[in-house]
Amino acid sequence: MTGLDDGNGGKQRVRLQGIEKRFLRTRALDGVSLDAGTGILGLLGPNGAGKTTLLRILATILAPDAGEVRLLGRNPSRSRDRLEIRRRLGYMPQEPGFHRNFTAFEFVDYVAILKEMTHRPRRHQEVRRALELSGLESVSGKKIRALSGGMRRRVALAQSLLGDPDLLILDEPTAGLDPEQRLRFRDMVSRLGEDRTIVVSTHQTEDVAALCQQVVVMNAGRVLLTGAPRDVAEVARGHVWLADGRDPRARLAWRTAEGRHRNIGDAPPGAELAEPTIEDGYLLLVGERAFSEAA
Amino acid sequence: MSWHGDPALMETYALGILDEVHSSSIEAHLLRCERCREAIARHVGRDRIEGMWAAIEERLDIAPQGMVERLLGRLGMPDHVARLLAATPSLRLSWFGAVAIALAFATVAARAGSVGVLQFLVVAPLIPLAGIAVAYGPRVDPTYEVGLAAPMRSFRLLMIRALAVLITSMALVGIAAIALPHLDWTAAAWLLPSIALSLGNLALSSYWSPQRATVGLVAAWTLAVVLGERFSSVPYAAFRAAPQAAFAMIAVASIVVLARRREAFDTRRGR
Repeated sequence: MTGLDDGNGGKQRVRLQGIEKRFLRTRALDGVSLDAGTGILGLLGPNGAGKTTLLRILATILAPDAGEVRLLGRNPSRSRDRLEIRRRLGYMPQEPGFHRNFTAFEFVDYVAILKEMTHRPRRHQEVRRALELSGLESVSGKKIRALSGGMRRRVALAQSLLGDPDLLILDEPTAGLDPEQRLRFRDMVSRLGEDRTIVVSTHQTEDVAALCQQVVVMNAGRVLLTGAPRDVAEVARGHVWLADGRDPRARLAWRTAEGRHRNIGDAPPGAELAEPTIEDGYLLLVGERAFSEAA
Repeated sequence: MSWHGDPALMETYALGILDEVHSSSIEAHLLRCERCREAIARHVGRDRIEGMWAAIEERLDIAPQGMVERLLGRLGMPDHVARLLAATPSLRLSWFGAVAIALAFATVAARAGSVGVLQFLVVAPLIPLAGIAVAYGPRVDPTYEVGLAAPMRSFRLLMIRALAVLITSMALVGIAAIALPHLDWTAAAWLLPSIALSLGNLALSSYWSPQRATVGLVAAWTLAVVLGERFSSVPYAAFRAAPQAAFAMIAVASIVVLARRREAFDTRRGR
């Protein structure tokens, strides 16, 4: 395990062992194991890798068919434990839905009620805090249907921050955000990750490189690699080379801004090797998996 | 301008204990005099400013409530329950409008003859059933997934919404029933089937998706009424004493199933 610093006497806040989940004939998760303490853990993988299923299990809304789950030291298959976990959990789904007639404030307030905050002044204070943290104080009175897609994602993020959760599950939070919003998001999540556990799924390698202390690369329901972002990049060491043209031996190649071609695959002898990035490692990992399945 | 506020008077005003006449005079002056505004700021406590600001925010934030929520508030419902109900698809004005139109057609048909009365009796129990089917669940509630991950029990949310939908739907059907041609036993014959089908739908939803449970119950209900009319010598056979007793038993059995299966609503079924 490439453990995160949990700052809690070595006690992991998320522990999954051999998780399996099947939907009819589709095996969504196949023996997934991972551990996480305080910090940000990124789930990286293509569509259909099983990230959302895994996050739903972490959010306690889906039960695995097999395997062991421990969240915040509790077992979510037990009703009482599940309730305690949910009291310390924030969850932003991949496709957050909204009651579009609500204002941003009313919507977050609605979720605050679902989070057992019934005392109105204290609840409203917490709603304002979550909206402010997400940079939404100026639009809190606007109807959700009048907000842009990026703003709506921030509203979804705001509801997940209610109650200052110890475990934050974010499913594709940067999808649909413009570059400025994405930077703001990174800044905010990075600060939040200083004293809690955040599990974030993405297929944006830049997000993982910028935010996460630990990354889990998934494909077809399996964990391909667990480690630091640099470990993902290291997978591609010796497999990335620059050439004046597209090399036929490369599995993937593209023309860079400098006019040369960056080739990824089995480098030929004497090739001009390049420093690998997390993106190179990810492409190689996921690409190899796809290649072996096709064979 | 030569006149400025007396410092002692200004301090009393800042503490919020000055009488109304002097307060009005000072407020009129403060609007025009920057020097006095700066002077008074020193006397106003941070707690008081934060309290006033919180009150302003509170008024701004709660202002744009929807019509359903405002109405429920006026009826004395706690604000958090009113907000939970305001997010219920089958408690929106558009839903009530659709129900009113359906009931209007059924009532007009009922006035045309006995077949129309039977049609009304078939449709009436389906209205609360349909309302409950779209009150909560994975395909009808956009915040279903967020709600599941929250500590409030999904079963509790479902019961709050179902009860509100049942009461409002049955009130609308009850009003329509008054317009039936004969105010005899048939005007109330839909009551027990309505309750049985609605509770049955909730109980089946602990096994299947609410939509699947609804489709199954609508089919079974329609078939039962049609077969009753086809093979019985008495009219409105499905609404006579024996079937009514069966509906009461279904309602009780559904309550037992719901109590035992309440945790089934706590997690997703399927993807």
